[in-house]
Amino acid sequence: FRFKDSLAEDLRRADLVISHAGAGSCLETLEKGKPLIVVTNEKLMNNHQLELAKQLHRDGHVLCCNCSTLVETLQSMDLSTLKPFPPGQPEKFALFLDKVVGFQ
Amino acid sequence: TGGHTTEILRLLSCLPESYSPRHYIFADSDKMSEAKIRSFEQKRSERFSNSQFTLDRVPRSREVGQSWTSSVVTTLYSILYSLPLTYKLKPDLILCNGPGTCVPVCISALLLGLLRIKRAIIVYVESICRVETLSLSGKILYYFSDYFIVQWPDLKEKYPKSVYLGRIV
Repeated sequence: FRFKDSLAEDLRRADLVISHAGAGSCLETLEKGKPLIVVTNEKLMNNHQLELAKQLHRDGHVLCCNCSTLVETLQSMDLSTLKPFPPGQPEKFALFLDKVVGFQ
Repeated sequence: TGGHTTEILRLLSCLPESYSPRHYIFADSDKMSEAKIRSFEQKRSERFSNSQFTLDRVPRSREVGQSWTSSVVTTLYSILYSLPLTYKLKPDLILCNGPGTCVPVCISALLLGLLRIKRAIIVYVESICRVETLSLSGKILYYFSDYFIVQWPDLKEKYPKSVYLGRIV
């Protein structure tokens, strides 16, 4: 398929996700608790897109590779090394904002 | 636009109904945000009975990679457009997270503050995608916002006046 409104259903059924380094794709996948391999193409991507992928990799939440090393990664990967991705906490933002505007 | 809208709706998800009415401003070229916002507000109105919100579109101030000279022109045009809108809305609080759309609105709000017409609190939340560097909007609004929130510790180190609450989306 080319474009779908939502990948939620496909994500739910997947055992492994291989994705580009787009933030939305990465975060949506990690939040559903699916193992993720991020394929980066340094030539195509502007630098800032890589920042999140690199950080997620450093924190042990995703595996990284590029197009030429994908097959090798799939053959040798150990998905049990991936750490679960804790959800963000918008409650902390709400608390902060309440203090800022004086709604405490 | 897109990811920015998703992020900002997540930021709003835990806010109580005292943050009302909500005025959403987004780019005229944005096709998907309106649907996302309406869906969010629909669910919200099921929880809170007197939920109010409005939607306004503004001309997009700058496309990614647009040249400097033409960016100045399009941004000025966006400011001219945003000024009457911001004057009409007279917000108490402006919450933004980085699309080019937010800079003209914030500049308008700053002008209204300088002219003693309305002083808004400007809270900027940099996108979760920004781990090591700020977006262009972030670099500008770091100096002009009242509160500048980052979501990764590297940025807190580089921009000491920022607020770090961890990941909030």
